[in-house]
Amino acid sequence: MLSIEENNLLTQTDPGKPAGQYFRRFWLPALLPTEVPNPDCPPVRVRLLGEDLLAFRDTKGRVGLIDEFCPHRRASLFWGRNEEWGLRCVYHGWKFDVNGTCMDMPNEPPEYGFGNKLRTTAYPTREYGGLVWTYLGPPEHEPELPKLEWARVADNQRYMSKRFQETNYLQAIEGGIDSSHSNFLHASLDAFRVTDSYVEKVKNSGTLRAKYHLLDKAPRFTVKKTDYGLVIGVRRNAEDDRYYWRLTQFLLPSHTMIPYEKGLAIHGHCWVPRDDQTCWVWTISWNPEGPLSEEEWKTIRDETFVHAQVDPVTFRPVRNKANQYLLNREKQRTANMTGIHGFASQDQAIQESMGPIVDRARERLGTSDTAIIAARRLLLQEIRDLAEGREPYTARHGDVYWVRSASLLLKRDVEFDEGSRELTKAEV
Amino acid sequence: MARNGQHREAASRDVNPDHIVSVQDFSRDTLRNVIAHLKASTSFEHLVYREAELDAIWTITGFFLANELPSRRDDAVKRLHAGAQKAHDLVADRRPEAAATVLEAFL
Repeated sequence: MLSIEENNLLTQTDPGKPAGQYFRRFWLPALLPTEVPNPDCPPVRVRLLGEDLLAFRDTKGRVGLIDEFCPHRRASLFWGRNEEWGLRCVYHGWKFDVNGTCMDMPNEPPEYGFGNKLRTTAYPTREYGGLVWTYLGPPEHEPELPKLEWARVADNQRYMSKRFQETNYLQAIEGGIDSSHSNFLHASLDAFRVTDSYVEKVKNSGTLRAKYHLLDKAPRFTVKKTDYGLVIGVRRNAEDDRYYWRLTQFLLPSHTMIPYEKGLAIHGHCWVPRDDQTCWVWTISWNPEGPLSEEEWKTIRDETFVHAQVDPVTFRPVRNKANQYLLNREKQRTANMTGIHGFASQDQAIQESMGPIVDRARERLGTSDTAIIAARRLLLQEIRDLAEGREPYTARHGDVYWVRSASLLLKRDVEFDEGSRELTKAEV
Repeated sequence: MARNGQHREAASRDVNPDHIVSVQDFSRDTLRNVIAHLKASTSFEHLVYREAELDAIWTITGFFLANELPSRRDDAVKRLHAGAQKAHDLVADRRPEAAATVLEAFL
């Protein structure tokens, strides 16, 4: 449970709000490079942290991210011409470069020299790890880019997708670190009912997750605060004197990783506030050992796991609230818990069903919600620290992101952080 | 579910603030166990676990008040429900000792 004040503090990220200031201390994913594929291509709208921005790629190939509205009469520059090093407003011809400098003001007498003095809001961008990142904070606090493993692998070892979600970022993060939901929301009916055929399938699958989830449905939760945020350890009983551990990272301000099983792809998310009511969900799958396999590409194409097909302009998922996520009640009766196809759509459906900003004063939490409680407390602490003048350590130390999730078997007397030390180091 | 006075195992356990107390009821034994862990808690992780336990007590007492037939215990459970919320907020404010004092009133 959170008080209404705490809930507001965590979920409001507009300029001037404490959480808005906090997010404005980090580089954030802003858009896919393919949204502005070529020099002088059409601009695209980008809404981040409650700000309406416009991205464009100039003649030299640099990506600019500026206030969507012309400072003259507040007309949208979306209708503008991207030409010769800058974006020109079609209303009165004012033109801005990627730094926000007004390059031309043809409707004013040149002797006034307004153009040289005027700038519009512009934020720095970096193309890194297959994304365009931006920093919306004060220049004197510009942070390091996060040294995330997925951002440093070759392009053919990584796939990423972007989707629009109609919830505040926090409930999306909470879904990402809530290990106990997967046995239900994402379960097939056979898995949920533990049918003989499912038991047989699990025996032969060789994946640790399926086997130990079956053996122990009431896992124990452990959290540890780290330089980058939190590592969340979920422990299940295994054979003999061992535990099966699944380790998930929550990396400030809003990255998460799904427990990695050696030999398979790793998956992670970054949940970026679009405004208080909506967020961008960035989903990344990567294989640190080589190109993504054909099986991994099939999973992506079939949308069975963490990626979902979206409209290429709006990034609204094909399965969305307006069409009830293409819910199939017959499939729900006979095949899986939700009747909705794919983990990403299942997550989105249930998170959006809670409303844009869930009222956390009305929750009924239990000890299985420990990771969620920890993430909220950590974010609250970080937000309050910044409000009191203490800058976030993580933002200034990009190397702390050099970690990887894990799943492993450990002897019962071994602490999970000790036993997993080598496995949780990123390698690329 | 075991209720007040029926769950006798917890109080005598060793206190380890790195472990989450299993909260299956709101018996005195459970409260004693949570109080002992509150008093031993110092780190961020400890306080997260204590908050989860107090959330669980608040949830269970809330379910009791919502679902059980009216009884003589209602007023006491209502007070414990409110006390669990107060203790929870004190833990959120990093004051586990004060939270323990709040719960001790219910022993």
